[in-house]
Amino acid sequence: MNTMIKINKITKVAFVLPLLFLAFACDNMLDVQPRTQVSSDNVLQTPDDISSAIISVYARLRAESNYGRNLMAVSDALADIGFATNNSGRLINENRNIPLNHFTHWQNSYFAINEINVALKSIEQLTFTPAPTQQTIDRWIGQLKFLRALYYHDLVKAYAYDPGTAAAVGSQDRGGIPLVLNGVKTLAADATAAAFPRATVAEVYTQLYADLNDAIARFNTSGSPSGAPFIAGGPAAQALLSRVALFNRDYATVVTASTAAITTSTVGNLQSGNAYVAAWRAAQHPESIFEVKFQAAIESLGVNVSMQSSFTSGLSLAALTSQGGWGDFAPLPSLIAAYGITPAPAIGTALTIPAGTIATATDVRAQLFAAGPGRGSGRKWECIKFIAKNGVPYLDNIPVFREAEMFLNRAEAYATPGSPVFNETLALADLNTIRTARGLATVTLTGTALYNEILNQRRLEFAFEGHRWFDLKRLGLDVIKAGQFTGAVNVPFTDFRRLANIPQREVDGNPNLQQNFGY
Amino acid sequence: MGNFSLCLDVFFSIKFHLNLNYMKRILLLVVFAFGFAVLWAQERNISGKVTSADDGSSIPGVNVLVKGTSNGTVTDAEGTYRLSIPSSGTLVFSFVGFQTLEVPIGNQSIIDAQLQTDVTQLSEVVITGYGAQEKRQITGSISQVKGSVIENLPLQSFDRALQGRASGVLVQSNNGIPGGGVNVRIRGVGSISAGNNPLYIVDGVQINNRNDANFTQANPLAFLNPNDIASMEVLKDAASASIYGAQAANGVVIITTKKGKAGKPQLDLNYYEGVSEPLKYLDVLNAQEWFSLRREARINSGNTALAATQNTLNEMGRLPANFATLTEGQLLDVANALPTFDWQREAFQTGRVRNAELSFSGGDDKNKYYISGSFNEQQAIITPVDFVRGTLKLDLTNTISSKLKVVTSINLSSFTQNLPFGVSGAFLGSPAFSSSAVLPHNPVFNEDGTFNTSIAGVLNQNVVAVSAQNSGRQVTNQAVGNMTFNYQIIKDLSFKSLFGLDYRLVQGEQYRDPRTPDGQGVQGRNSQQSIWNSNFITTQTLNYNKSFNKTHSINALAGIEYRSETVQSIDAASTGFPSFLFRDIGSGAVDENVTGFWSGFKRFSVFGQVNYDFKKKYLATVTLRQDASSRFGSNNRSALFKSLSVGWALKEENFLKDVEFVSDLKIRASIGQTGNDDIGDFGWRALTTAGAGSSYNGASGLRLSSLANPNLTWETNETVNFGIDYGFFNNRVSGSIEAFRRTTKGLLLFQPTPWLSGFDGYFANVGELQNQGIEFEINTVNFDRDGFTWKTNFNFTYVTNEVTQLYGGLRELPGNPSVRVGHSLGTHFVQQFAGVNPASGRPMWYDQAGNVVYSPIAADRTPLGNTLPEFFGGFTNTFQYKGFGLDLFFNYEYGRVVPDGQVGFLRENGTRLTLNALQATHDARWTTPGQVTWIPRPVVGGAEVRGVGVNTGNVNLWKADYIRLKQITLSYTFPRELIQRFRLTRARVYAQGINLWTYDDYLGYDPEFVDGANNGAGILPQAKNYTIGLQLGF
Repeated sequence: MNTMIKINKITKVAFVLPLLFLAFACDNMLDVQPRTQVSSDNVLQTPDDISSAIISVYARLRAESNYGRNLMAVSDALADIGFATNNSGRLINENRNIPLNHFTHWQNSYFAINEINVALKSIEQLTFTPAPTQQTIDRWIGQLKFLRALYYHDLVKAYAYDPGTAAAVGSQDRGGIPLVLNGVKTLAADATAAAFPRATVAEVYTQLYADLNDAIARFNTSGSPSGAPFIAGGPAAQALLSRVALFNRDYATVVTASTAAITTSTVGNLQSGNAYVAAWRAAQHPESIFEVKFQAAIESLGVNVSMQSSFTSGLSLAALTSQGGWGDFAPLPSLIAAYGITPAPAIGTALTIPAGTIATATDVRAQLFAAGPGRGSGRKWECIKFIAKNGVPYLDNIPVFREAEMFLNRAEAYATPGSPVFNETLALADLNTIRTARGLATVTLTGTALYNEILNQRRLEFAFEGHRWFDLKRLGLDVIKAGQFTGAVNVPFTDFRRLANIPQREVDGNPNLQQNFGY
Repeated sequence: MGNFSLCLDVFFSIKFHLNLNYMKRILLLVVFAFGFAVLWAQERNISGKVTSADDGSSIPGVNVLVKGTSNGTVTDAEGTYRLSIPSSGTLVFSFVGFQTLEVPIGNQSIIDAQLQTDVTQLSEVVITGYGAQEKRQITGSISQVKGSVIENLPLQSFDRALQGRASGVLVQSNNGIPGGGVNVRIRGVGSISAGNNPLYIVDGVQINNRNDANFTQANPLAFLNPNDIASMEVLKDAASASIYGAQAANGVVIITTKKGKAGKPQLDLNYYEGVSEPLKYLDVLNAQEWFSLRREARINSGNTALAATQNTLNEMGRLPANFATLTEGQLLDVANALPTFDWQREAFQTGRVRNAELSFSGGDDKNKYYISGSFNEQQAIITPVDFVRGTLKLDLTNTISSKLKVVTSINLSSFTQNLPFGVSGAFLGSPAFSSSAVLPHNPVFNEDGTFNTSIAGVLNQNVVAVSAQNSGRQVTNQAVGNMTFNYQIIKDLSFKSLFGLDYRLVQGEQYRDPRTPDGQGVQGRNSQQSIWNSNFITTQTLNYNKSFNKTHSINALAGIEYRSETVQSIDAASTGFPSFLFRDIGSGAVDENVTGFWSGFKRFSVFGQVNYDFKKKYLATVTLRQDASSRFGSNNRSALFKSLSVGWALKEENFLKDVEFVSDLKIRASIGQTGNDDIGDFGWRALTTAGAGSSYNGASGLRLSSLANPNLTWETNETVNFGIDYGFFNNRVSGSIEAFRRTTKGLLLFQPTPWLSGFDGYFANVGELQNQGIEFEINTVNFDRDGFTWKTNFNFTYVTNEVTQLYGGLRELPGNPSVRVGHSLGTHFVQQFAGVNPASGRPMWYDQAGNVVYSPIAADRTPLGNTLPEFFGGFTNTFQYKGFGLDLFFNYEYGRVVPDGQVGFLRENGTRLTLNALQATHDARWTTPGQVTWIPRPVVGGAEVRGVGVNTGNVNLWKADYIRLKQITLSYTFPRELIQRFRLTRARVYAQGINLWTYDDYLGYDPEFVDGANNGAGILPQAKNYTIGLQLGF
């Protein structure tokens, strides 16, 4: 009988268990909430969320496609200051201007712009108690509009012809880039509808001015947020306006904006002599008006594509003879010679200077080059502007605007023939400010010689900072590469490769969007 | 849910009632037994022993009955019985799995019986969803692979064992990592953005087969010792699989593990040991060949002969310091004196393979058990990669009452894998990648025996040193088990309640040694991952089985099922170690990264199925299943799947009954729906993330990451299947032929949105694709005489795949040109190579107009082959003679075109990067005007001026057709008479070879791999194995 009772119990349990379970399960039978993410319907309704959304927009500057590498290294590889070493195979095709090997910041930039647009809308609709102060709101909007202008300018200068240059290419000109000013937050239908056509270049520049002027006005009223130069404030907005105006050949604005940026001493001050060299050895560059910060180790783009790896084969300034990076892109002998560095051996010929030697010349900028340990293709002069200066390998801050640019922008605005603010004296003064700071003697030049020296100083000053390609492009100049290295051919201004290709998927999926000529 | 609560009461009342009845009956039985004992005390006793004709083992639990009476008993644990009988009559011995035996009693007082195994009963049962059916009743498309067929293969996971053994099932390895990933595709590839893996079910537990391991592949199916498998059934058509509803679109693989059999305790010992070796080594250049090749490239690129010699020596790190004073001849002498080292043979090794198992089974008619333990070790051909697994399996069947049976099954498993440098990829430190590509003049060791760390060329790491100095391993602990209550409610109605759990914890740890280049920059890095899955399932089914007048027979099933799965992980890393001696994550000075992850889903389902047959001639099955899943969008929470299949057993018809040469003939047709819910747990939601990627300046950022699509739902597969099962000449020739069309509708597609929207796209059910094909299996007994048998099994599958519709009238998926309407998935959409210009040696391609050009553009791309094989299958020959056995098993694939990443680097002939080259591409290079060849002249940089890279277009696409001798086994089973003396019931020795021979025309290591990330660059190649083994039964 005992056995019977036991059997009875077990059998009973066999039925109770499933039914109990089902009764228990019905409460939240199919409810599963994500934990790693949160529902987008619930975000951007508090001041904390707004601040965090702005942080994400800054973080996107760090992407490889943007300031993490491409706007710096790909830009210079496309231009005429250096050659690809074949060490890792990277940057070769860009350096040879092989079609489709170009800028790739379209996606990341438009994603950032959407985040900006959504954040701006959320600020408008914010019903939080206590309401944020007007100062907070101004600083939010000021930063967002600065960032939107920066992303848009980086796009328009890569994917479209700059103001005043399109006539030279005739029907190759396909206009500016799409201007998107309303954000998509959650709805797939909104995203599908975002099949915008290209705006005209003029429309894009109008928007750039509007955003920057609003940002400047708000920073003027409410003051810049703390965190410069990593967080944008009034000087950053002025610096960007100076650059935008230079591209737009709006020289009067170049002068006012540059002057405004220069006269602010709180952020970005020109360094001279050894201090300038030391500036490139410190985590934060004292000349930076705006600088993209790489802080946590996880933010590093790593041993393959970081700026350090792209330009140097060394491990760090202290361990220049140890292999660290790839050194995929090295200065041309002509550039090396232009700083007065010797020797400047032909490409492919062994550099006999011992590894780890830092170059010296009258021009203190020579000290930003060193004989690296070399990689597969042997030892070379390498640019060491980015060599673990933050103290961690492959993690260098990227200066976006240095005060030197403000002087050279202004000098160019004064020295460009036909400029409404044409003034060679002031131009020479700005030029000599830079020359002196770099250890060079002052010069007395006028006319074309003055103008050309200003461009030459831009080349030397911003080598390996991604300016050269855009300078040649906005001025309608050819890129002269032939004869400088094997397999190199010139890229005339009218060549379709002067513009980046719009990603094919964008054109395929958006009938309103016209691909650039030649692709 | 209230309804269910009510049911509880009903069940209870039935229960009590039944129990009362039961108890009464037992009491009566006891009383009768005593009564008989008293009444018939003078009647004679009879006794005996029942054994199996198979192996002579005793069989407990056999029913022994005097025919036509209720007088009977059952055999005890030793197989003996004792019975009081009337003077005459016949004894009937019956037991499941054996043929019933009748013995006239006569005058005997001792009657021993030997029962024959009932082959038809055992072999023809096929496991279907939630049940089993006799094979003759099957109307859908199901392939069966018996455990005995895959016994003792040195494979770590059972999915590999399916390769070539079931028609319609394509199995491809990702690589040769023991316990690594395997690609299983049943009847084509049905989805673009959702999963394509079949559903695996082990003893009723649906296995989670996510593979989220970071550091090496940990196949989730490697938890099970393949030798514990009794059979694998593959449900291929929708009619068979629709009982699993929204998870069955890619087919279902049902694994049934071994269970205990009644009988005296049986102990089986199984051991094999062997080695694994590389399938092949790539034939690469020696130092002088490489030097001349590179020098030639430099001369072709404009260097003078002297400069080319200097520069090449410089690149090889062998340019003398006084080179400026040396003549070209002196420099060439330097090159000619360079030694050559075989890095592949240094980096590859002969790995050890070992397996030991012990199983213990037995029981009586009430309680049966099967317990097994195993240890398996497989070293890969590249050190230190390996796989070491221990498993423990416990299976209990307890008959608690005549109504209630409880089946418990527990599989515990733990395996440890030493890590490869990387699973795939062109990593400098990866021996799988670098050993064939490093410049050959670099010594591996210095003269003093230490590692040479000064390696010239772009691959500047000593991979042998890196392998030795790095460390790391991944441990997977897994438990899969279930408990099932079977309750016979009334005669024809039974209830089954299953509770199952699949739990897995994967813990990985990787250390990059600071002495190695990848660890040097950060002074060592320790990365760790813990990821755990909990997967709970319960199934409650009612089964009704009834036959009316032996004419109509019905088998009906109704059930509910609930499944809940969660996966969670935590990852961390630290850098900055004091020295290589310190390797623990806590010893690093800098915390680098901490991330976590969580995901999960829940599913509730109701299903039903009716199988009907009329006189065993006309067969029909109807299935319905409704699934509700948290994965589906809020507007589309539940899904209904239907199927119908019919069969006509022609052999049962009068006109065929007497036709001698036809032993079996059945035609069947089915149509049905299944769903694919492998669409991501939260694919329909708009979500926002935060984390390292969106942090800046020490502050955390938030980032919109996905768009909402509340209409998102499962993909629907509709399959139409026609099949013929045949058997001729007493089943000497048998098999099946099937044709199918599988249409995927509401294809889950990550529908791209313009990036202008701030999003990449969203998941939507758009598009349609189709797989159609034919498959057949043919089994023949070619020879069966004088103890010699030769059997052949051949299977063949032909499948074509076609995308029939995208969305918005698009002919090509934006951003993914391999998805095109009118073409197969995996189509290569590239420019077509036009050979080498015989005059200049420059590579040429066809443009869209068909002209040859040096620099093709995107518009010149055209579809050129695809990655899916056109046909594939397997071919087995089994020979047996007096205990000797020989198995030869081939598998084959045809029509697959793949890029090979490893070959891609090596065929550049050292032009772009200073890498070694293949002898074949070196020898074929253009050198002289007029030469017609397929490899262009070498130029530094790899691309001619105003040309494009040498790997542009289809030049690095290769036909991956092959036939492989997958398995060869020679065995000898000792005769029973001999081994009985040693108290053995079984003794078998065998020698086995795996992957011994491959027929292909393939430049790379192995035509069989699936590696979407790097096209096989740097994957550990598959190996061949030689093993010898011993099986003993006590």
